[in-house]
Amino acid sequence: MSVLAPIICDNGTGFSKVGYAGNSDPSFVFPTAIATRGPASQPTRGGPPVPSKPGSLASKRGVEDLDFFIGDEALANAKTPGYGVNYPIRHGQIDNWDYMERYWEQTIFKYLRCEPEDHYFLLTEPPLNAPENREQTAEIFFESFNIKGLYIAVQAVLALAASWSSNRVTDRTLTGTVIDSGDGVTHVIPCAEGYVIGSAIKHIPIAGRDITQFVLNLLRERGEMVNVPPEEHMKVAGRVKENYSYVCQDIVKEFRKYDVEPYKYFERYEDEYSVTGKKYAVDVGYERFLAPEIFFNPEIYSSDFLTPLPEIVDGVIQQSPIDVRRGLYKNIVLSGGSTMFQHFGQRLKRDLKQIVDRRLENTSVQSGSHMKSSGVEVDVISHKRQRYAVWFGGSLMASLPEFYSFCHTKAQYDEIGPSICRRYQIFGSAT
Amino acid sequence: MILLESNNYIIQTTLAEKLTKPSSLDVQFVDFDDVRFHLSTPERKTQLVLSMSIRCWDELVRYGVHSILQREYGSMVKAQPEPEYNVSLELDLEQFPADPEARESLIQSISLLKRNVLAAPFETAFTTQKELAAAGSGQGELLALHYRDEEAIYVQASFDRVTVIFSTMFREETDRIFGKVFLQEFVDARRLPTIQSAPQVLYTTNTPPLELSHIPDLVQTEDVGYVTFILFPRHFEKQPIAESTISHIQSFRDYLHYHIKCSKAYMHSRMRHRVSEFQKVLNRAKTEVATGERKTVSGRSLVR
Repeated sequence: MSVLAPIICDNGTGFSKVGYAGNSDPSFVFPTAIATRGPASQPTRGGPPVPSKPGSLASKRGVEDLDFFIGDEALANAKTPGYGVNYPIRHGQIDNWDYMERYWEQTIFKYLRCEPEDHYFLLTEPPLNAPENREQTAEIFFESFNIKGLYIAVQAVLALAASWSSNRVTDRTLTGTVIDSGDGVTHVIPCAEGYVIGSAIKHIPIAGRDITQFVLNLLRERGEMVNVPPEEHMKVAGRVKENYSYVCQDIVKEFRKYDVEPYKYFERYEDEYSVTGKKYAVDVGYERFLAPEIFFNPEIYSSDFLTPLPEIVDGVIQQSPIDVRRGLYKNIVLSGGSTMFQHFGQRLKRDLKQIVDRRLENTSVQSGSHMKSSGVEVDVISHKRQRYAVWFGGSLMASLPEFYSFCHTKAQYDEIGPSICRRYQIFGSAT
Repeated sequence: MILLESNNYIIQTTLAEKLTKPSSLDVQFVDFDDVRFHLSTPERKTQLVLSMSIRCWDELVRYGVHSILQREYGSMVKAQPEPEYNVSLELDLEQFPADPEARESLIQSISLLKRNVLAAPFETAFTTQKELAAAGSGQGELLALHYRDEEAIYVQASFDRVTVIFSTMFREETDRIFGKVFLQEFVDARRLPTIQSAPQVLYTTNTPPLELSHIPDLVQTEDVGYVTFILFPRHFEKQPIAESTISHIQSFRDYLHYHIKCSKAYMHSRMRHRVSEFQKVLNRAKTEVATGERKTVSGRSLVR
C-alpha cells in the first residue's frame, strides 16, 4: 500500500488553507475562526470546565469542549446567542493554543476526514516565528494527534518554491525576495538559499483590506453608493476590487484615457440586495486603476505611511548581505491575493529597475566614469498559483519523494522530545 | 461536533461548486481508513469521474457490493473502474436534476459512496438474520472485513441477533488507556434510562471474544482490543433505522479515535490553564529583599 498523501495546513491570520499534497488547489479555504460557547473574550478565570462529581458519564461533565464551530460555520454562528467568535491566530502567530488545538481537531476530522495517525503533515510558520511556538505545535501534533511525521516550513520559502511552476523560472533556486500580501499586512521577505534573512524583513501596513476601504472611499465620494444598502458596501467594494482592478503604467495617461472615452472604460457592476432581492448597480471608473495604485503611491490613501512598495523592496535588498543581492533582485516572487492585480509584476519591475539603474548611474558618475557596472538584472515573477502560493509550494514540496526524509517522525519525537522541531530544517534547495 | 458525519465533505462541496461553475479538475483526497478518492474531468468539463480505492474491496465484492452500487447509483457506475482504483462513478453534470432538492439529495448520495460500499456486509448479515429467524435457529457465516492494516470488522448473523465485532489497535500507550476508560463508559452509559434500547456493548482486551476463537492467525498483543456490539432485530427491522445503524456502526472506529483525541485536547487545555495558574503563584512568591539601612564607611546612610 502506498503512503497516503501528506496533509498541507497553512493557517494564516485571516484564512486557513488546507488540503492534500499533490493537488494544485487547497481542498478548503476558510476563515481561521472558531465559535465557542461563552463570551468572545479570553476564557473565564476558572479555565475550562472541570468534572464536578463522580457518577455515570452524563453527569460527570458536559460536552462543552466539543460544542464549537470553525471556519465559515463559525462566522455563520457568530450571532447565535451563547456563542462567541475567536481568532486563534494574531499577526501570523498562534495566540491561543487551546482554541488552535480544537481548531485543528475539527479541521482534520470533519473537513479533511482522515485518520491523522496515517498521515504526514506539513505546517507553515511565519518568518521570525519563535522556536517555542514550533515546539508547542510539535507537541500538539505528535501527542494529541499521533501523526506519523511533521515538517514545519517557512511561508516565504514555500512561496519561492511555488514560483517554480512558472515557465519563466529556469533554475530552481530558493534565493529570492518574496512579496507576500494578504488581507492584513504586506511582508517583504528576502530569502537566501532557503533561509530567511530576518534582519532585513520589512512590513507594509497596506494590504487587501486597505485597498477595499480605498475603493469604498472613492465610490462614496463619487456618490455611487447611494443606491447600495449600507451593509453591502464592503462587499461591493471588494467585488469591484477583485473583478475590475488593474495596475496602470502611467496614472496621468490613464486618467486622460478615461476622460476622453468614458463609455469604453467605465464598467457597470450589478448586484442584488441579499435581504430584499432589490437590484442595484454601480458605475466603476477610476477605481479600476487607482485601487492597486496605493502600493506605488501610498500618499493617495494614507498620510501615515508614505514609502512606495518598490522603494521598500529596494531597501530590503540593500540591507541584505552583499553576496546575495543579485540573486534577490533577479528573483522577486509574488504571493497572496493582493498581488493578483493585472500587470502588478510589470509595474513593480519597471519601478524597481528605475531605482536600481539610477543608483548605478550615480555610482559611475561619482567614480568619475572610471567604473562601469555591467548592470543588475531585475525580474518579478508572477504565476498562476499566486493566490494560494504558500499552500501550493507546500503541496509541491510534499509530493517530492525526499519530503519524508526531511520530516521529523513520531519515533524521533518519542526518542528526543519536542526539541527536535526547535531548529528549522532547510529542504528543497538541493533539487 | 459529537458524531462524525458519514458523507465526504470534499465531494459534497466540490460537486456543488462544479454544478454552478463547471471547470476542469483533477484532485485526489482520502477518507478515513485508507480510502482514496480521485475526482477528475478526463474528457469534458461537465463530465466528472469519481473513483474510490478501498483496501478490503475483494471481501466487499464477496458480500455483494455490486448489487448495492447498482441500487444506489444505477447507470452511473462505470463497468471498468479507473486503474489503481476499485470503483468509478461517471457523473454527467448536465444530467443532474434541475430541482434544487433533488440535486441536493443526489450530491448527498454520491458523497456517501464510501458508506454505501462499506454497508455491504451489514446488509448481507441483516438479510441472513431474517432467514435464520424464520428457520428459528442456526448461525450465519462470519463475515470479516479487513478495512485497515491490523484491524478488522467481523459481522455474524444469528437467528435472534447480529453480532458486530471490531478489533482495534492502539499504537500509543496513552491511547490505549484512554480507549479503555472510554469503552468502560460505554458500558456504564447504557444504565441511563434514556438509552436503554441501545445495542449492548462488550469490551475485551488481549483475548478475542468466543465468536472469533476459531480464526487461526489473530494478532494477540497487549495493544489489541475487541469491541462487540450486539444488534437485536429492533435495530435493523425498519429500513430507516437499519440505515442509520449501519452509518453509525461502521464509523465506530473513527468515532472512538476522534474522541480519544478530543479528550486529550481537553486535558491539554486543563493542563495549560493549571500551568498558567501555577506561574501566577510563582510570580507572587518572590523572597522579600532585606532592606535594612546600610551605612557607608563614613557613617552616612547609603542611598541608591
